[in-house]
Amino acid sequence: MTRILLRNKLDDCIAAWQKAGFSVLAPVKRHEMSSFGEVRKADEMALDLVLTERTIKDQFFPQTEPLIKYKIGKHQIDSETMTPPEKKRVFFGVRPCDASGLAIDDPLFGWDYKDDYWFGRRENSVIVTIACSQADDFCMCTSVKLSPDSTKGADVMLRPLSDGSGWQVEAMSDRGTALVETISSLLQESSAEAAPVPQVAEKFDVEKVMEWLADKENFESQFWKDIALRCVGCGSCTFLCPTCHCFDIQDEGDTYQGIRRKNWDSCSFALFTMHTSGHNPRNTQSTRWRQRIMHKFNYYQGKFGVNSCTGCGRCTRQCPVDMGITETLQAITNLPR
Amino acid sequence: MGIQEQYRSEAAALLSSGEVKLVIGFGAGSTADRRRPLFARTPEEAQKFVLDAACIANLSTYLVAEGLLSDGKKVGVFLKPDGIRSVNILISEAQLKPEQVVILGYAIESGKDVAALEGRNISDFSIGEKIRKLTPPPHVIEAAEKIEAMSAEERFEYWKEEFSKCIKCYACRQVCPMCYCRRCIVDVNQPQWVSTSSHTLGNFEWNLVRAFHLAGRCASCGACDRACPVNIPLRLVNYRMGKEVRSAFDYVAGENSDQKPVLASFKQDDPETFIL
Repeated sequence: MTRILLRNKLDDCIAAWQKAGFSVLAPVKRHEMSSFGEVRKADEMALDLVLTERTIKDQFFPQTEPLIKYKIGKHQIDSETMTPPEKKRVFFGVRPCDASGLAIDDPLFGWDYKDDYWFGRRENSVIVTIACSQADDFCMCTSVKLSPDSTKGADVMLRPLSDGSGWQVEAMSDRGTALVETISSLLQESSAEAAPVPQVAEKFDVEKVMEWLADKENFESQFWKDIALRCVGCGSCTFLCPTCHCFDIQDEGDTYQGIRRKNWDSCSFALFTMHTSGHNPRNTQSTRWRQRIMHKFNYYQGKFGVNSCTGCGRCTRQCPVDMGITETLQAITNLPR
Repeated sequence: MGIQEQYRSEAAALLSSGEVKLVIGFGAGSTADRRRPLFARTPEEAQKFVLDAACIANLSTYLVAEGLLSDGKKVGVFLKPDGIRSVNILISEAQLKPEQVVILGYAIESGKDVAALEGRNISDFSIGEKIRKLTPPPHVIEAAEKIEAMSAEERFEYWKEEFSKCIKCYACRQVCPMCYCRRCIVDVNQPQWVSTSSHTLGNFEWNLVRAFHLAGRCASCGACDRACPVNIPLRLVNYRMGKEVRSAFDYVAGENSDQKPVLASFKQDDPETFIL
């Protein structure tokens, strides 16, 4: 027997969480784009999507974020820190790949200093993951050692019942246990079976890839030049990635006052590494694409012991020239050794 | 012999004779319905070219890639009429030398049949009149008319919602053959003319800057629209700007390579309605 939540109890569920002081965010499709947005009713949720186009990362590390307000006076500079709102949030219907992305980025945002903006939101959020019941051609979680029912990053894990009527509920953390407690009267004991997890074929051998990347001989390989030839150098893959986290600091305002902001930046852009002198150490698209792959499957691993890829496949799914991590890592897997 | 086989062997012949150093075409993509740009340097690689109704990208954007044509050698490229139109615009803006481009032209008819276009050099394609009659697909016109029928306030709200989705990935710019600036104005940061912040105002700034820079220069290929990962109907913006230019100057961009860029030239009889 396990506890289950029925779909027809979702409205009550949202109401209970709102009563407990939470905003509820779920996959929504608005203005021809799917992302996580606040919902008040269950029918606003788009729970049948394989994945939202935008990632849940956006809700923790927004594309633009004010950091401080400043005013430059004759004799002094006044500044005011703009702390992120400490809103309690439930994220309902997160896919395992996106939830994993948050867990992968945690050590990064807590590494040399604790990023209050990231952790302020992380600590006030509860992640309710729903295991996948479908996958598309671009899904590749199994290739990076995750799975369609991975519990990584989940505070509560929901597994769809085979008749589609609801989900098995399992709390995975203290925060998750506390959240489940708020809806305990809406849950019931049941022996209903969970639906089988979709098959996601392994598309590359990540161990082989990591070994090849770690070999310094391959850094200047012709491979990088060939594979990146058609990359147009936009930032779509990085901005849609659930783990890419690079940002730039910009002051916006006039001579006397303004707002300092943290804005997303992308290693795909030529400007990303441009020095003031005009020298650019990554002056071709192939060096920039190499950086992206090396960062995800070598440097990040070296620093935090985990690869910075969740296998969501958005990089390829949305790429205007059909590139992405899958193709590159497949090609590396198949290189003659 | 089908058009795919015909063009594979033509591309192979261009490469084996040394006439071109590279042919840019399409190869199989990561799913059955996708095609991806393919760069062939040898006759063998040319055998991987695919040509069918799924080959919709405008490959002319690669012709202005930094350094590609700087050695003076020729490049072959698979182009539909919108790509040929882009090449005309690039030549008229002095970004391409006509003799450096060998065109493998094709047209997709009624969305499924692929037909070869006669000619190999840009001057062979006398498609000026055809282009003038070319209209975007009905759904684009329908969507544009819907927006034009809105009140100014409604229209502003509509675009505010759409542009608010923008994440400034610049995919629209990067796939556009007309966005060939080596340093885009939004990347000029001393001073930072256009905000890099992707808030509503910053997004308006970017999208409006691009719209104005493309006025009278857009080949209506729809690449920006297809590339946008957050589904902003960008081609509606460019369609509208194109319409304005056409009604003011009777000018359709890319009719032929002898055109003078409309906003970079002057005629005695240009309308001066903006002068009070």
